[in-house]
Formats: sequence, C-alpha cells, structure tokens
Amino acid sequence: MTASLASRPRLHAALRVAAAVLGGYAFCWGFIALATSGLFALGMPFHDAEHLGSILGMLLYLAAFLWAFAARRLARVWLVLAGGGALMAGAASLVQRTLL
Amino acid sequence: MFPNFRQAMAWVHTWFGLVLGFVLMACFFFGSLSVFDREIDRWAIPASRHAAQPMPSFDTLLQPIFRDMQPSKESLDYLRDRVDGPLPARFDTVRSWGAYTTHRDPVLSLFTSYEVPNARDPDDAARGNRTIDPRTGAALPDDRLKIGSQFFYPLHYSLNLSWKDLGYWIVGLAGLTMLVALVSGVVMHRRIFREFFTFRPKKSTQRSVLDLHNMTGVLALPFHFFFAFTGLVIFAGIYFPVTHTQLNPLHEMHEKLEAEETGLPHDRAGVAAPLASVDAMAAEAQRRWAARGMAGEVGLLTVSHVGDANGYVSVYRAGTDRIALVGDGIHFKASTGELLREDPPRTAVDSVNTFLTGLHLQHFRHWLLRWLYVLGGLLGCVCIATGFIFFVEKRKKQHAAAGSQGSRVVDALAVTTVTGMLLAALTILIANRLLPETLPAGWPPRGDLEQYLFWAGWALAMAHAFVRSAPVAQGRPNPAWREQCWAVAAMAVAAVLLNWLTTGDHLARTVFIDTYWPVAGVDLFLLACAGLAAGAARRLGRRTAAGVRPAPRAEAAHA
Repeated sequence: MTASLASRPRLHAALRVAAAVLGGYAFCWGFIALATSGLFALGMPFHDAEHLGSILGMLLYLAAFLWAFAARRLARVWLVLAGGGALMAGAASLVQRTLL
Repeated sequence: MFPNFRQAMAWVHTWFGLVLGFVLMACFFFGSLSVFDREIDRWAIPASRHAAQPMPSFDTLLQPIFRDMQPSKESLDYLRDRVDGPLPARFDTVRSWGAYTTHRDPVLSLFTSYEVPNARDPDDAARGNRTIDPRTGAALPDDRLKIGSQFFYPLHYSLNLSWKDLGYWIVGLAGLTMLVALVSGVVMHRRIFREFFTFRPKKSTQRSVLDLHNMTGVLALPFHFFFAFTGLVIFAGIYFPVTHTQLNPLHEMHEKLEAEETGLPHDRAGVAAPLASVDAMAAEAQRRWAARGMAGEVGLLTVSHVGDANGYVSVYRAGTDRIALVGDGIHFKASTGELLREDPPRTAVDSVNTFLTGLHLQHFRHWLLRWLYVLGGLLGCVCIATGFIFFVEKRKKQHAAAGSQGSRVVDALAVTTVTGMLLAALTILIANRLLPETLPAGWPPRGDLEQYLFWAGWALAMAHAFVRSAPVAQGRPNPAWREQCWAVAAMAVAAVLLNWLTTGDHLARTVFIDTYWPVAGVDLFLLACAGLAAGAARRLGRRTAAGVRPAPRAEAAHA
C-alpha cells in the first residue's frame, strides 16, 4: 500500500485528509459515547458526563487530526482512528445496555 | 508524503488554512461584531433606542401577551411536512412560555412552544416568538430584522445556512481547522518568542505580511485558541449528537429519573390548573438569591406545562455579574407558587462548562473586556487575511511564469472575504436605513429584503474582485483591493450620514446632548472603519504608482 501510494501523491493526500477529518470524527464519537456512558455508570451526573466527554473529545479530535498527518504509516492511522472509534462506540452501547 | 513532522504540519497549515480560512474570516469578523449585537440592533431599529429595562411584571404585562401568542409562520412551515393531516388552526396546549433579557436589552424577547396533536414525532413543537417593549407591552413589527443579534450573530456560527444544519458543520470544521492551524503554526516556527516583537513594515510585502501574520497569530494565540475551542464546545451537541442518537435510551431514562429527583414534572398531568402570581414567585426567587449573598435581577423566566396541574415556573438569575450565562434557577409549582426546588451549587464539571461557554458568549457586564474581545477578533481577521496575502505573494511570480491561475483565484477570493465582507456588512446597514418603513404589497418582508441585499452586495464584491483579477496572473496586484477600500470608506460614511438623516441621531447628539452610546458607538466604529479603509486605499494607490517593488524572499518553513 505504501509503495503504490507514494507514486500517487494526490490519492495519498486525499486519504490523509479523510483519515484526519472522518477517522478523527469516528474516534471522537466513540470517545464521547464511552466517556458519557462510562462516567455516568461510575456515578457522575448524566449531563456532567456528557459535557466532560465533549470537552475532552474536542481536544482529542485536535490531537487525532494532527497525528493523522504526522504519523508515518497511513494504514495504522486508519486502523487506530476508525477501529478505535468503533470499539469505543461498541463498548458505550454495552455499558448502556447494562444500565437500562 | 512528508519527509518530516515540520513539513507535515506546514502542509496542513497551508492547505487547511487556505480552504477554511475563507469561512474563518466570516466567523471571526461577524463574531467580533456580535460582541456588540444588541447595540447594532439599536442602530438598525430606531424605535428601540431607549435604555435597557429589567424584566417587567409577568402578571399584568406578560401574561396577556403570552395568551395572545401563536406559533410563527416559519415554525408552521417547518411542521407542515411533519404532521399527519392538516395543522390545527389554533394551538391551545402550551408546553412553555419564556422571557429572556440581559443588562443590555431595552426590548424583551418572548418565546413559546406548543404541542402539535398530529405530529409524527411527539417531540416536535410549534414555536412562537415576539419582541416587545417591556415598558408598554407593545410588539415590535414582525418584519424588523435585529441585524446584530438575529443576523450577524447567527452568521458567525451557522453562516445563516440552515439547510440540514450545513452551516453549523462548515463552521465546526473551520473551528477545528483554527485549532489545527494554531498548533501547526507554532510547530512551523522555531523562534516563536521572537515573533512577538518582529514586524518589518518597510521590507517587501511578502516579508512584512508574514511578520504581521506571525505577530497577530502569536500575540493573540490564547484568545484565538480559546474562542475556536469554546465555540466547538458550545455546539458539541450538534457536532456529536451522541446522547440524542446512540445513547438516546440512556438519555431518556436519565430525564425521567431527573424529573423524579428534582420534583419538576417531565410530562403534563392532563388536569387543568390555574396559574398563581408569577410576580410573587419572581420576588421570592430574588429574596432567596439575596439571602445567599448574591442579590440579582431576573434574566430568564419560564413557565412549563402551562395550564396543567404539573405546570411549574422557573426563575433564573441574570449573569450580569458572573461569567455563567444565566443560572441559580429557583422553581415553583405554577398553580400554588409553592417552592419545588432550588438548583444545587454547580458541580465541578458544570462550573468548567459554564465558565468556558459563558466567557465565549459574554453576557456579563464588563465594557473594557467587551472591547478587548472585538480587538482580539479583529486581530484574528488580520492573521487570516495576511495568511491569504502571504500565500499569494509567495506564489504569484512563479504562477505568472508558469501561466497558472492559482494565485489569481486565491487573491480574488481574499478580496471577497476581506473588503468584500465589509462591503456586504455595510450594504445591509445602508439598506436598513434606505428601505421605506412600509414596503409595497407583494414585496418580501423588510427584514428578508435586507438579508437579500446583504448577500447581493457580497456577490457583487466577489464579481468585481474576479473581473479585476487579471493583473495577478502577471505577478502584479489586483486593483480591486484599492477600489473596494475606497468603496468601504464611502459606504461607511454614507451609513453614518443616513442614520442622521433618517432618525435625526447625529453624533453630536448621541455623544453630548442626549447621550446614547449604543448608536454613537456604531457610528464611531463606522467612521474609524472609513478612516482605515481610506488610509489603506491611499497606500495601495501610492504603491501601484511606484510600480516596481523589491523581489520577495523565499521562506523555507512554508511548504
């Protein structure tokens, strides 16, 4: 993948941008969902959990965004951001199910 | 793709900054104007030029008005496709009434919401709103646009583009880009401390523009970061609607629990009940605040489940002397006035959250800070605009040699978002003063027409910028910069003169004779803007006349 992408810089740039914007979004969605449900499960008031998750989530988005461009291997960026986001979102749904 | 970290950051800074910088210009500029949104409203609606008023009596003044209110036409238009069958002729089941004011409001905003019996989504509500003079209860005409708080203010966070909330999302991405540009900009520059003090106006345009870009970026770095970040936090619920989608079941469960815990009913009981004296409840709330050592005015008053046995009244304290917007709510049973609940002291997280959002929205009273906000916002505009100019200056010679149109297009877009945006803002102010009080039948409402003219003015400025852009492709400046600066100067003076001619409020009166700072401030700001624009136009003219300028030097850090 790396070799073929290096010969096509436009495609590589597009995939980096998509990783930063969309991958970063998915990662933060997962984080906010898990933080909200997890902190609520641990006894924090619901809206506090929601706000704290969002405040930290926005900073995390910034970090994920920059990392998507700084990281050497693009495949890893996609794996961590999209995969990690999906995992955290799944975990959030599980927490919700146990609470309902 | 990138040989090293610094170059990766430079690429992100350049290209994201360029593409979303055009949006950020609007956010920073109209955000700066929003700091004085109420004052711009006074300029635009002469009938409301009087002193700020406290919350009026609910029982005698507000209640009959609320009972008379019905959903707005916009709200009904929105609901038409979301109901089974036709909409009812009258909406009688009132979900809530609300009245909101701040220490800068001579007029009072009222808002209502009603149950829609045949709505497909039971959460849908029909909404109404009205603005009144709290001294008499008289309604302001519906077609008057509050240019500050209803046009410039939402423009800075939604671009007034409501289709599918698209404007919010574009601004959100731009806000994130601002944070990204700040961090990547710091990474690009090793000598950040020196940037504080470096401005060489006599050097080449490219050099002095970059100095100015770095200086305005670094000098106000905490300000820029804070506003972009808190802007994202304020709308986090729109960007990440987690608790209304994936975690909606949890949210619903929590709301029911919260209703039990707080004693504030979540739903109607279905049993009719009268409304006790709300004035007595507001007085009791003020007495309780005073007893806690925080005497204050009522900022927000709401009645929920109106006319029902589960109805309750919430009285919130105005945030005039603190950063959190409104708060310290005290809630009463609507039918008896019996105390239901006092909001507990804020939790740590809530304190952080209300501090962040309150400091962004700045409804507290601090005039010096208010002006510093404007200054910070305008520094942000300078930072973004000089970024565009640097981009063009660095490339236009190469582009000219290669026959590329790239820098020509960027330069024309820069003209559109810098001087063109000023022209658009001036167009709406001038339109506001020139349009007749009552428009001929069949015309759009006055406020709508003002908005159309704003966009038309901006489009015209854009067309002018592109039509005049040919010299850039040969490595020379676009004359549209100078021409639009002259237009800004002329129109800003015209707006001040028109205000005088149509209302009689000239500066000698608003400053000295019958002092009214909201209008005087807008006029003085316009004159300062005219002075700066005329100065810029003259300098640009001298440069063009001088012709040849020193060759730009390359800057290695910029990709």
